[in-house]
Amino acid sequence: MQKKQIDLTNEIMSKIKKGQIKMKPKWYFVLGSLSMILGLSSISIILMFVIRLFMFSIRSHGPMADIRLQQILSSFPLWAPVVAILGLIFGIFMLKKYDFSYKKNFYLVLLGVISAIILSGVLIDKFNLDRFMFGNRFGRGNGINRQAR
Amino acid sequence: MTDEELVKIIRTSDQEQYSVIVKKYQDKLFRYANNIVNDESRATDIVQQTFIKAFINLNGFDTKKSFSSWIYRIVHNEAMNLIKKYKKEVSLLPDFDIPSNDNVEDEYNKEETATEVKKCLKEIPLSYSEPLSLYYLEDKSYEEISDILRLPVSTVGTRINRAKTQLKKICKKNK
Repeated sequence: MQKKQIDLTNEIMSKIKKGQIKMKPKWYFVLGSLSMILGLSSISIILMFVIRLFMFSIRSHGPMADIRLQQILSSFPLWAPVVAILGLIFGIFMLKKYDFSYKKNFYLVLLGVISAIILSGVLIDKFNLDRFMFGNRFGRGNGINRQAR
Repeated sequence: MTDEELVKIIRTSDQEQYSVIVKKYQDKLFRYANNIVNDESRATDIVQQTFIKAFINLNGFDTKKSFSSWIYRIVHNEAMNLIKKYKKEVSLLPDFDIPSNDNVEDEYNKEETATEVKKCLKEIPLSYSEPLSLYYLEDKSYEEISDILRLPVSTVGTRINRAKTQLKKICKKNK
């Protein structure tokens, strides 16, 4: 095993004093984290929409099914993929050199996110909360749909 | 004063205090980097880059967590980047599975194993030698190694045990 010692103190400190290396401001990390959160939230909304669409498709529908499907598709939040892509690209770019995931169990976080998305989708469907998110276009809560089920 | 308190001072009022951090960690980080890349000149570059990156990103460090683990993690990342860059030049043994032997702990105490680690570390694969060097040479706990290498604590334990088994064989062969 080597017993060599190094002394980088002067080298590093002179770079700091000369301003060759500068600390990134706090807001930089906050902005990066916010972009990532925004991007991930948008992806969650898209996935919830897909889950709702799937649950709608497995129900029995009457002759107006196609029209209702069109209505559902037209309620797709178009801003979500745009925000998701921009948020993630911007967030990853800003946090590229910053170890934002330090000390987090990624498998647990991933499992939590997936579970939360699926649970949200099911709950939204069950309690008819979609009117707050996507407008009342999922064909529930009106007379026609009740007859169709 | 703890490292985390020192980091708060560096961030808010006195950047000169970063020299205390550099002095405290440079040799430890150099030893760790050199155990990974087996090249003193590259290990020095890694440590230098680590201190620069740590300073630049100091505002991103959460002072509720361990600064030591954070800076070791940066060394690990830098070393891995360098290994990828010079993959052909750095001699890495291919990954192989080593049978676990849980009784090894009884046979070896930490001091004896640390001596063996120093002698034969370069002869075992990086995925095993890295946790081993952190445990025996850098005196890190399983929890800290888990933070640095992003591995579950149980995996760290398994790798260290397996590495010790392999180390024992290699050291015996070399005697």
